[in-house]
Amino acid sequence: MKARSIESPLFFVRRSTTSPGLLFLASLPIAVIAVFVAVMIWVSFQRGMLGTSGAVYTLENYLALFGDPFLYRVLWNTAVFTATTTVVALAIGLPIAWLAERTSIPGKTAIYAIMTLGLLIPGIYTAMGWTFIAHPRIGFLNRWLMDLFGLQDAPLNIATPVGMGFVQGLSLAAVVFILTAQMFRAMNPSLEEAAKVHGLSFLRTIHRVTLPLALPGILAAVIYVVTIGIATFDIPAIVGLGNRVYMLSTYIYLKVHPQGSGLPEYGITGAVGACMIVVAALLTLLYGQVLRSGHRFEVVTGKGYRPALIELGGWAAAGWCFIGLYAFVSKVLPLLLIVYAALTPYFAPPSIEMMRHLSLVHFTNMEWGLVLRGARNTALLVAVVPLLVLLFAFAISWLVVRSRNRARYAIEFAAFLPQALPEVILAIGALLLALFVLGETVPLYGSVWLIAIVYVAARIAFATRALNGSLLQIHREMEEAAFVSGLSTLRTARRVLLPLLRPTLLSVWIWTALLVYRELTVAVFLGVHDNITFPAVIWSYWYAGGMNKASAVTLLMTVLLAPLIAAFWWLGRKTPTATQ
Amino acid sequence: MISVRGLAKEFPAGGGRVAAIKNLNLEVAEGEFFVIVGASGSGKTTLLRAVAGLEVPDRGTISIGGRVVSSDAPPAWIPSQQRKLGMVFQSYAVWPHLTVYQNVALPLTDGTHRVRRGEVEKRVREALRLVQLDQVAERSATLLSGGQQQRVALARAIAVNPGILLMDEPLSNLDARLREEVRGKIRELAKQLGSTVLYVTHDQVEAMAMADRIALMQAGELLQVGTPAELYHRPATTGVAEFFGTMNWLEGTVTAPGVAETAIGPVRFEAEAGIGTEVLIGFRPECVALLAAAAPEKPNVFSAALKASVFLGDQSLLTLALADRVISAKCRGADVDGGPLRVWIDPADVMVFSAERRLAGGAADSLFGARAAV
Ligand SMILES: Nc1ncnc2c1ncn2[C@@H]1O[C@H](COP(=O)(O)OP(=O)(O)OP(=O)(O)O)[C@@H](O)[C@H]1O
Ligand SMILES: [Mg+2]
Repeated sequence: MKARSIESPLFFVRRSTTSPGLLFLASLPIAVIAVFVAVMIWVSFQRGMLGTSGAVYTLENYLALFGDPFLYRVLWNTAVFTATTTVVALAIGLPIAWLAERTSIPGKTAIYAIMTLGLLIPGIYTAMGWTFIAHPRIGFLNRWLMDLFGLQDAPLNIATPVGMGFVQGLSLAAVVFILTAQMFRAMNPSLEEAAKVHGLSFLRTIHRVTLPLALPGILAAVIYVVTIGIATFDIPAIVGLGNRVYMLSTYIYLKVHPQGSGLPEYGITGAVGACMIVVAALLTLLYGQVLRSGHRFEVVTGKGYRPALIELGGWAAAGWCFIGLYAFVSKVLPLLLIVYAALTPYFAPPSIEMMRHLSLVHFTNMEWGLVLRGARNTALLVAVVPLLVLLFAFAISWLVVRSRNRARYAIEFAAFLPQALPEVILAIGALLLALFVLGETVPLYGSVWLIAIVYVAARIAFATRALNGSLLQIHREMEEAAFVSGLSTLRTARRVLLPLLRPTLLSVWIWTALLVYRELTVAVFLGVHDNITFPAVIWSYWYAGGMNKASAVTLLMTVLLAPLIAAFWWLGRKTPTATQ
Repeated sequence: MISVRGLAKEFPAGGGRVAAIKNLNLEVAEGEFFVIVGASGSGKTTLLRAVAGLEVPDRGTISIGGRVVSSDAPPAWIPSQQRKLGMVFQSYAVWPHLTVYQNVALPLTDGTHRVRRGEVEKRVREALRLVQLDQVAERSATLLSGGQQQRVALARAIAVNPGILLMDEPLSNLDARLREEVRGKIRELAKQLGSTVLYVTHDQVEAMAMADRIALMQAGELLQVGTPAELYHRPATTGVAEFFGTMNWLEGTVTAPGVAETAIGPVRFEAEAGIGTEVLIGFRPECVALLAAAAPEKPNVFSAALKASVFLGDQSLLTLALADRVISAKCRGADVDGGPLRVWIDPADVMVFSAERRLAGGAADSLFGARAAV
């Protein structure tokens, strides 16, 4: 009876706090995404004057798409690319995660630093750098190998699905590292000790206990990487487009920006997008399933828990060589080559001779009008998008974790939708929406705000997940104590919740800002003239063949990025961020 | 059965090193239920893990069943797998990807001490029956309650017929009521199987309820080894005395054989102590008996005033003033009125410790072999 009298007023308070405003904030981004998807599916069934009463409803787009022999080549390329990506990312990320979490290797902070930096450095840097290294025509490694062995043809070719998969894999190894390191950390070492004590040999322990327990985690990482791989745009675009090797994402790009005199085929684009949604949704379902089966394995660990580290002895040096090689090949070398390309008038393999031609010509002749426009747009996006993401994500998280509102299940599910949808799809959805629904009435096409909307939608899932995690850790009674002491909901949020959440909010903010800063896919699909972003400037130079110019802009962009990375670093020391 | 000689183990800790075990000696007899009890961080888990072969000692020799399994000089090491042990981990370490049956069967099918195919089924069923889990054998191990998981871990440990069972606080994740029930069952099972058990806990009640012999551990050393009654009634130091229950302390000086002069008057005791020594007199609250007002005069009877009384159901906890000293006493019943009381302390129950040692900083040693009234 006593419990009831305390419980009921609080229950009432909690009920009444789910204000319509909050509900609106939470559902707005979800509604926007739903509209993107709906428009895309709608357009995919149209021919003729799309989006008008003159449109004809038909299956012809799908028929044309699947009747196109080129599509099958693209699908094959994408499959090979994705498979290579997965193998490379796993082969690098998994051993490093194991080293960092389960062995006595020294310098673990440094390993984490290197791998986090790996997440921060955009894939396009690695892609540009590796073009300079292993392109059949200009790649310096090819030249060296040809000179050394007297070869007629270039032995390496980065502009193949396997080559691009390798580059993408280098870039995603960091993601695999973060995902599987979490898994290794969550694994209770006494499970392996129990096997040992009860007579299982080292190999049998690995076979019968460690691997079965690690499998869900590894599988989840694989699905995650595959999901990114089949739809990723930037690396296939940087390496493949100029060399006419196409993946699904670049295939779509061609449909929207056809070369020569062709007209954009928006209907077919919609059809590809609709098919990709199905695949992405299936993969996400699978991912959730696998993760859940993994969580089933996480038993509560008592205070007997103490990670037993595997003594590496002399092998620690070998481990560090592996990590060092990875850092060099995936980050240091590409960045060095970009710097080199930015400072040379044309690209030739690095040599003493070329060092004499170092110049700042690309900086003095830089088209500042274009570059500054890109910088201004990107600055605007970095200023606005993270704040909006935080606002919406907080509303969603609070509803999902704290409220008793019945809509929260639907909202929770919907908030994870964008996780499943690759940026390419969101970009097409936004493009079709702007072109065929909003049209002249709301002139969003070609505006930086369209890009901002897509960015916000795309980043909500990650932010919500991070906030959910920390909100769950803050005991509900913290807020209830404030309610009981007479604080209003808003004041409770401001005085209790926000201070407690601040580390997470900050890290989500920085992380979002970084991703917005370097984002290429959406920017390229939606960029026209006025709304070109910084990375899109690099891309347009690169696509037009101005590799050295592109490198110069990249260098500029990296230098400007440094303070942001420094901030990330400083915050990262306090709060480990989630992945993306 | 288990013999530990001169064991030492240090861990690196924040630049320096912390000694988890310092020069420890221990003998556990065959079939004995031996409990190691001590405060958190005293090194109990480290000791158990060293016996299990999960931790490599820095110094010392460990033998199991007469066979040296770990030694620094001459160097010897037998890995965990070959020590033929059963172990129950504090977190149970029940393999979550296997069913209850598979958990118990895995050591039998894949371990060093493999048994024939036909034998496996029989052994697993038998072990599960002993812990009363035969009904849920096919269930996934993660779907079990805490108490059931604990029993799976126990069944897995006994299925290999190890002879030696190691248990690290196996009951600490259970709720209080279940704990009391299970501790009786574990002891019963161990006795039924004739196993030698090395059992770690930080709970002195659990230790006394289960053990044939107890070792009290503190800061990497054993303070005292003995039966529960010995440790309770004849503690070697004031520290041991206080670990196993509340004590009343009085400083005093021995004035005659078996008599010490204290703040509440002369206290008689049965232990021997040299005349003129400074001593610390100790007795437990339950050794304080309430006398009827008309009871005849005898030694160690004091008049007392009741300051407070807490009714606990089966007994009452009294706070009494004897002269200017406050002591606590336990007695049956609740009908103590506020009037003047007379209490008697049996000289056989009085413990005597040397006071100098205590003043010198360490725990006072029982110089005089205080006799217990068992
Ligand atoms: N792997 C390790 N690394 C560093 N220090 C350790 C390690 N294992 C134990 N220690 C230290 O050794 C000491 C003894 O630890 P141990 O776990 O044996 O204590 P315990 O008696 O089992 O405590 P509890 O009752 O809390 O389980 C502690 O100070 C602990 O911090
Ligand atoms: Mg312990």
